[in-house]
Parts: sequence; structure tokens; C-alpha cells
Amino acid sequence: MEPEQHPIRLVVADDLRRSRLTVLFRLLLSLPHLVWLWLWTLVVLLAAVVAWIAALFAGRLPDPFHRFLSAYVRYGTHVAAYLSLAANPFPGFVGRPGSFPVDLEVAEPERQNRWSIFFRPILGIPALLLAAAFSGGNGGGGGGGAIGTSAFLGWFASLVRGRMPGGLRGLLAYSIRYVAQTYGYLLLLTSRYPDAHPAAPVLERPLDHPIRLEAREDLRRSRLTVLFRLLLYLPHLVWLLLWGIAAFLAAIANWFAALVRGRPAPPLHRFLAAYVRYLTHTSAFVYLVANPFPGFTGRPGTYPVELLIAEPERQNRWVTGFRLLLALPAILLLSALNAAFGISAALAWFHSLVLGRTRPGLLGLGAYSLRYAGQVYAYLLLLTVRYPHSAPPA
Amino acid sequence: MPRPLSGFLAVLAAGGWLAAAWYLWQTSVPTGLDLPDLEPSRFFSRATLEEADDYGLVLDVLAVGAAAALVAVLAVYAAKGAAFARESAAGRIGTGMLLGMLGLGLVWLFQIGFGVAQLWWQRRHGLSRQGYVEWLLGDWWALGAEFLFVCLALVIVMGLAGPLGDRWWLAAAPAFVGLTLLFAFLLPYLLAEATARPDPQLAADARRVAATQGVEKVPLRVQEVSGHTSLPNAYAAGLGPSRKVVLWDTLLDDRFSDEEVLVVVAHEYGHHAQQHIWKLAGWFALFAFPGTAIVALATRRRGGMRRPEAVPLGLFLVVVLQLLAQPVSNEFSRRLEAEADWRALEATRDPEAAAGLFEEFTRLALEDPEPPGWAYFFQATHPSVMERIAMAEAWRARREGRSRAG
Repeated sequence: MEPEQHPIRLVVADDLRRSRLTVLFRLLLSLPHLVWLWLWTLVVLLAAVVAWIAALFAGRLPDPFHRFLSAYVRYGTHVAAYLSLAANPFPGFVGRPGSFPVDLEVAEPERQNRWSIFFRPILGIPALLLAAAFSGGNGGGGGGGAIGTSAFLGWFASLVRGRMPGGLRGLLAYSIRYVAQTYGYLLLLTSRYPDAHPAAPVLERPLDHPIRLEAREDLRRSRLTVLFRLLLYLPHLVWLLLWGIAAFLAAIANWFAALVRGRPAPPLHRFLAAYVRYLTHTSAFVYLVANPFPGFTGRPGTYPVELLIAEPERQNRWVTGFRLLLALPAILLLSALNAAFGISAALAWFHSLVLGRTRPGLLGLGAYSLRYAGQVYAYLLLLTVRYPHSAPPA
Repeated sequence: MPRPLSGFLAVLAAGGWLAAAWYLWQTSVPTGLDLPDLEPSRFFSRATLEEADDYGLVLDVLAVGAAAALVAVLAVYAAKGAAFARESAAGRIGTGMLLGMLGLGLVWLFQIGFGVAQLWWQRRHGLSRQGYVEWLLGDWWALGAEFLFVCLALVIVMGLAGPLGDRWWLAAAPAFVGLTLLFAFLLPYLLAEATARPDPQLAADARRVAATQGVEKVPLRVQEVSGHTSLPNAYAAGLGPSRKVVLWDTLLDDRFSDEEVLVVVAHEYGHHAQQHIWKLAGWFALFAFPGTAIVALATRRRGGMRRPEAVPLGLFLVVVLQLLAQPVSNEFSRRLEAEADWRALEATRDPEAAAGLFEEFTRLALEDPEPPGWAYFFQATHPSVMERIAMAEAWRARREGRSRAG
């Protein structure tokens, strides 16, 4: 699932340490940057129109425009990273390359198809929708989108620990990269469409989490089942609701068992694991991360998108006792990520209906969201004691 | 099983089937009731008759087109549909469910055009107030309900076909009848949100006509539909304690007199008084046994209904059998409706109001007073407007005859 390198790349050289004082006042400290970014944006709006006309004639973005607009997008990235706590130091005001730990590399200007330039404002709409879901704009859901929610949670964590959780920073880097690529695409810095695939940038080695997701990269989609996907999901929805009632009761029983024994009861673990696996299969189906109609049993190894759940393990009783409370931040983050997931599924629906296949980026985002959702549900239902890891897969 | 014994059982079953059919066929409408032969021109202007005729003809043609599309699509699907099994990662029942839903989905796709044309025609005549997008969305969700229904049916059939093989139908037919009764019982509760109590005067009148038929405990409700349609309608729903009579609010917008509305109310109470919903369930049971047996027999070459590959063929067979049974079922339905009309006349003793009501059906809803024979045979679930007026006249003549005799 390794995508080709995109002409607009995010480079992260951040050590996760945060100054508690600047974290405390981060929003206020960002004010001069926000004002400056707003003024810069006004100029960019005018420049973008001129650049669009010039690019239509030249078949490429002229160098001065490329430099100016690249600096703008880079500066916007620096400010977003600073404000959202994806980086620690106070950024400069000119968007100089290599001047900030969360930086943007923009390739040299390239020749572009004139039709693609002409229709760029329309072609960019799907990417803009997804970017809005990440940044908490229209359709963002989950309050401030993935960026806002991660920043909100990261603020508390950084203030207490003096360190940004790696998972949150990973999600922020991924979201900021996508937003930057979207603006880069709209401002003609590249003709490459923004890449929603979460595999880059590589920030840390993969974590050995007890809840993992395996997704076969099969991009083919049956147009007929895509057209009726939502309705085909209905019997699964009914079954999920019925099974959900039993799973809810089983989860309560499992909670008591884990409190008393210090580990979940194996039969309940198996039952709840099958439920979470089934939830993953059906979500993969309805969100178009996978093509085939799933079975109704959640049996392992039966679906191209598979949640691997480890055997029951010992669990700290305090962590078990307060599990619901502890899971709240993860649930909040999941709802924000789900907003982007929902938009990506809608885009995948149109794409698959027309072309009979989905895009690797949308598939990657879907698999990432499903993995995180699986980890959140598994944590909630005591299938693991390990906290959900929100960073995209490395 | 020895051949003579199985032959005897077959004759016994056929005899039982015929006896049950005969019993269900009987109604309380007096035998030998002489319906006068009435000329539509006596009741309607030439313009009204022509408009109703045109309106009905287009709807009839669209209905035939939709039925033809249904059969054609499912015939092709029966031949090719099994290939969609590759789109499933589910087991045999899950895959069967997918194939069943896709079949219905394809039918929906190919019938959209007929539905849109029908809506356009109704809007053109001021009988529908629904927008096209609203209709499409409503139809889409109705398709969702059909998907769930076909899934439930296939869970029963394929679940039973696993252990029972080709004899699944012996258990499936009673299960379907049970589900029909359950659904009939639950329907009023499902519609409860959409209905409201009538005004006190109408409620009191309704109780009075209900009492004359011995169903005074069955409540009357009003359903708001005037945002979508101007067509008048009412129905009887429920079994036992769930029984209700529901009037569409389009009957209460002053286009009909109070007496005419009361005839409608009495007609619906007549359905409950004569146990028509039980009778309809019994009629369904009569066809469910041979119908499922034919499906079981015809799908054997594809491995029987145990195999998901047989589902497209099974779907096709069910639809064809329903279409074949439709003329007889329509006649059965017309008999029940005629009986409800008769009960309404007996309860209200107001044949003028009854005749006026039926005349309004043509004037306001453009119901063809005398539809073409083929359309009546294949589609009409109610007696024609002229038959209904004739029944009101016959009831009056009968009363007058009795008065003279008295």
C-alpha cells in the first residue's frame, strides 16, 4: 500500500517534547500568526486568480507565483502545526523552507494539463470536503475535526506530561499534510491530486498493538452492490443491533469478571471479539473499504478487511474499573476521525460507481479509521488493556 | 411412503384445499342479489367519463409495463444472477440474501421509469402533491424495507432447506403464514405515530355504526396524507386487540358529506366484523403451500433452495406465481370488498350516501366507473364504481320490496 511520493511532502523532525508554558498560552501566542495568515490569505486570493490565468496560458505555474504560493502554503502548515501542538517552537512569519520541525517540501513547478488547470476549482471540491473534515470546517463533525480534536486532547496531555502523545502527533501530521496538499493542488503548485493514504510521513516504527488490521488492497468494486450499498447494509444493521444488545450485556459481565479475576473471561472475550470483528467487516463493507458482502458471524479469516485480536491478557484492575472514563478521549477522537471517514466513503461511492474501483488513498484512510475504531471498541470492551493508538500506520 | 397412501394423502390435501377455498369464498351478500345494469352516462357527464377513462387507461398501461419489466428483469436475473455470488464473503445464507436483495434492486432500477411516469400522470391530474425527489427518496427507503423482508424470507427458506432438503416448504409455508399474521397484528402499532384521533362528532358516529356491526371496541383513527396526495382512502388494519379503522384525512376535507364519510367508516368496520383480515391470511395460506412447493420443485436442478445459486430462480418463480394467482386473488378481494359495501349499507341504511360516495370516487379520484375487462380482471381489487352504485340501488330496491311486502 506504499503510495508514490507526492510532490508536496510533509517532513516531521519533532521530538514530541513541549514547553508547558507555551502550551498553556498556545492559542494566545498564535494570535499574531493568525492575523498575519489572514492578511496573507487576502493577497493570495487575488494572486491565485492571476496565477490561474497565467498558468492557463503558460501550461505551468510561473516561477514567481510558485514561490509565493508555496511559501504561503508552507507558512499555513507551520501555523497549523504550532497551533495544534504538532510542533513546539514558535514559527517564523515568512514560511521559509527548513525553518520549522513540521515543514513542507514542495517540488519545482511542472507542466500541467490545461484542462486540469481550467477545471481545478471544481476538481478540488472533493479534496476540499475531506480537508474540511480534517480541519473542522464545514462537514468536519466531531467539533473541530481531526486536527481540532487532536489539538484539544494534546493540549491537556502536553500540559500535564510536557510531551505530546505520539499517536496524536501522528494523526495531526497526517491531517495537516492532507490539508496542505489540498491547498497546493487548488493553488496549482502541483497537478497531483491530494493523497489521503495515511502511510506517509513515517514518524515512528510500527507499534506492536494487540489489535491490528489487515486489509487486502483490492480496489475493484461491483457497481451494482455499490449503488445499493446502503440498503444492502440494512440486514447487517438489524443484526448488529440485536447482537449489540447481547454484546452490551456480555461487556458488563466481562467488566465484572475482569475486575474480580484480573483478566477477562475467555468465553466472553471470544464472544465480544467476534462482535468487534463483525462490526469491522460490516463497516468496511458499508464504507466501501472492501467489496464483498460480509457474513453474519464475524468469523476470523472470512473477510478481506480483518481485525486481528489477541488472546485475553492480564489487565490492571484500576484501568478496568475506570475503563469507560479512560476511553472518553479515544471516543472523541474516533468521532472526529469518523467524520473524515464518512466523507471519504461518500467520495469512494461516486468514484466506484463511475469507474468500478476505488482510490488507494480512500482505501488507506478507510483502513486506518477501521483500525482505530477496532482498537477503541476493543479497549472499551476489555479485549485489550492497550490504549488505542491514533497515529496512522507507518 | 407406499404409493396408495401418498395418493390418498394427496387427494385428502386437495379436498381440504378446495373445502377451505370454498369456505373462504362465501360472503354474507345475499345470494341471487340482482344488481341492476346501470349506464354510467346516467351518473356522470361525458367529460368526466372521458377523463376517467383516459386517466385509468394510462395507469393500466403503465402497470402492465411495470409487470412486464418485472418479469423480464427477473427472468434474466434467474439465468445470470448467480454470478453475483462472487461479490459475497458470507456463507450460503448470507450470499443468498445478497442475491435476493440484488434481484429486487435491479427490478427497482428498471421500474423507476414507470413509477416516475405514474407520478407525473397523477400530478398532471392533481391527484398527487409529491415531488419527484421526495418520491424517489421514499421509494428508495421502501426498497430498503423490501430488502429486509426478502432477507427474512430467505433466512427462513434457506435455514430450513439446510436440514430439511427439498421438503423445506412444509415448514416454511406455515412460518410465512405466521409472519403474515404477526405483521397484520403489528401493523396498527407501526402506524400509530402517523395517526391521530378523529374529532368527537365523527368518533361518536363511528362508534354508532361500529356497534351495529358488533365491533364497537375497534377505534377509529385519522392519518394525515394530504401533503402527498388528494386521493381519498381508508383501511381496516390489525387483528384482535390491535384492530383499527384508519381514514385518510383527504376524506375529511369537506369534499365528502358527513353521510358519505360514514359509509366509508361503516365499510371498514364491515371488514373487521366479517373477519376479512383473517380471511385474507387464510387465502394467503391456501396459496403459500402449493406456491412454496412449486419453488422447491423447480429449484431442485440448481441444488434446491439450500444453495444461494438457486435464489435468483426462486425469486423469479415467486413473482411469476404471484402474477398468475393475481386474477383469482383479485376476484377474492372484490368479493370481500363487496361484502364490506353490503355491511356498510346495512349499518347506515343510507343507499343515497353510498351511491354519492362512489360517484365522488370517479369525480374526484378519476376512478374509471367501468374499467376495461382485462384491467378489471388483472388489477382491480375492488368492484367497479358502477357495480358499487348498483349494489346501493339493489339494497334500496330490496328494502322497498320488503316495505311493500310488510
